[in-house]
Amino acid sequence: MDHAHRPGGWTVAAAWMVAIYLVLPISIVIPVSLTDQRFLSLPQEALSLRHYATVLGSEAWLGSIWQSFLIAVAATVIAVVAGTLCAIGCWRLSRRSTELVRAMMLLPIIIPSIVYAVGLYRYFAKIDLLDRFLGVAIAHGVTGIPYVVITVSTALAAFDPRLEQAARGMGASLSQTLRWVILPRIAPGIVSGAIFAFIHSWDELVIVLFIASRDVFTLPRRIWDGINENLDPAMAAVAVLLVVFTLGLLLLDLALRKRRDA
Amino acid sequence: MSGTGHALALRGLTKRYGSFTAVDSVSLKVERGEFLTLLGPSGSGKTTILMCIAGFVAPTEGAVLLDGADITPLPPERRDFGMVFQGYALFPHMTVAENVAFPLRVRKLGAAEREAKVKAALDLVQLGRFADRLPRQLSGGQQQRVALARALVFDPALLLLDEPLSALDKKLRAELQEELKALHRRVGRTFVNVTHDQEEALSLSDRVAILNHGKLVQEGPPAHLYEHPRTRFVADFLGKSNFLHGTVQESVPEGFVIGAGTTRIVQSVAENRRPAHGSPVLLSLRPEKIALLNEDDAADNVVTGRIAAWSYLGAGYTLVVETPDLGALRVALPTWQAPIAPGEGLPVRLGWSSTASVPVVEDVA
Repeated sequence: MDHAHRPGGWTVAAAWMVAIYLVLPISIVIPVSLTDQRFLSLPQEALSLRHYATVLGSEAWLGSIWQSFLIAVAATVIAVVAGTLCAIGCWRLSRRSTELVRAMMLLPIIIPSIVYAVGLYRYFAKIDLLDRFLGVAIAHGVTGIPYVVITVSTALAAFDPRLEQAARGMGASLSQTLRWVILPRIAPGIVSGAIFAFIHSWDELVIVLFIASRDVFTLPRRIWDGINENLDPAMAAVAVLLVVFTLGLLLLDLALRKRRDA
Repeated sequence: MSGTGHALALRGLTKRYGSFTAVDSVSLKVERGEFLTLLGPSGSGKTTILMCIAGFVAPTEGAVLLDGADITPLPPERRDFGMVFQGYALFPHMTVAENVAFPLRVRKLGAAEREAKVKAALDLVQLGRFADRLPRQLSGGQQQRVALARALVFDPALLLLDEPLSALDKKLRAELQEELKALHRRVGRTFVNVTHDQEEALSLSDRVAILNHGKLVQEGPPAHLYEHPRTRFVADFLGKSNFLHGTVQESVPEGFVIGAGTTRIVQSVAENRRPAHGSPVLLSLRPEKIALLNEDDAADNVVTGRIAAWSYLGAGYTLVVETPDLGALRVALPTWQAPIAPGEGLPVRLGWSSTASVPVVEDVA
């Protein structure tokens, strides 16, 4: 790649503009979260950590963070188990019908989440899952499946089918082959999918607005309510914490990918 | 040590994919402890046959028999065959020792016994020192030996090899051929090998089965196939060959004489295999069986021509000699036997004995 064409000046400028456009709205919350004022604003006289102290000292905020975390963990487990099994099944059978199944698995990210949420609301009302931990976990888990199906399918596409043949040729049963050969090989894909599924649940708002009200009060929901009701800079502090946590997960994913490719 | 292996037989094995016939009614026997090679160009069906034996491909018709018992319906994991895959298919996330231990782990052997067997298998291929390495830390030849150890560690009924040496460079290939042959002698098991490399087939095997277009063309010990090819394809695929066309003109005590233009060629054959007078005949003549004659040398068959092209190969020369009646003849000549350095356009006399060539038949498509 030493002799690859170097990008021209305009291309570089355009690339930077896009990058800034993507990052700027996120970075604005950082100075706002450090404001010394009592309302949502840029710092006036000094930088202050008081709003971080408010968040970390507030039972309501901490409760929401904990609840969001638990829901995200449960949703991730659901998405990873269902998504991985689906991807492996489609890969093993590999027929025209499995292509259809794989496409259907992507529906949750294709359909507008508000449409999805309305449907869930009516459906969950009937089976008494509204405003329940289990209900939100299931909803987030199911909508997280596409991420796992995509990453695991990608990992399987790179999996050498002769390894499976080799395992079976040496007498391994399907479950032994799965446990000892296939799963270890596609583990990085599963972890990637899990991270995305986790992030998906962690910052999901639309569905929560519909199917949860009082008992289940996730972090994005509390930020949403906070913005609607008062302009407390604590929200900016939470937003920064949220971004940092998500960024951490993405970096973890990047590191894992790098290790796999090495 | 032969006799500890198992005998394999294919009976009318056929595999069709839609209207395409990949394997066409192949029947074949592999004796206990024998090293059999399935040889053919790509698309000849040799790999499909191996996959049928391994159980990964279900034949459309016919049966695979192990010691006389029909194993056709058995899935691969119940056949107990060792297999070395093309590209080895070592598990990249396991160390060498873990790779070799895999078939034992599947069979739920105790840790102590497992360790002892893995050690013995790695010693067999001289890789004991590399037990804790990952496959990617090994050279191609070492990976190949790990694959062999893994395939042999559980005392399989049969060892199947799918182009085991094709990924290696030429020199290493020759080295591992020797090793593979020695290994076969040591373990005394039945080996079934697949290759498109005729040299490998000749040097390794007790018996070679030559396939083309899914059909078994000829089988036998390497030397027999080389010296007595039945068809044009076998003569051409196994080594190189010149083909002489002519019609039978007369019978002589040792065989018959064919005419091609004004040239007469004497061919010896057994009494009972003489073709009818006037019938067309095709002879296969190996390049190394043609000698360059001096003015006064005699031979059963002598033709003259001019050198059209030549190449120097170190140990020998290859000449292409243009002759008036027989077309271009390829001649392989050891360097020490070449009377002079060849040159284009040089006139030469070529000679060969009546037993040097063999009549072959054209292959039916």
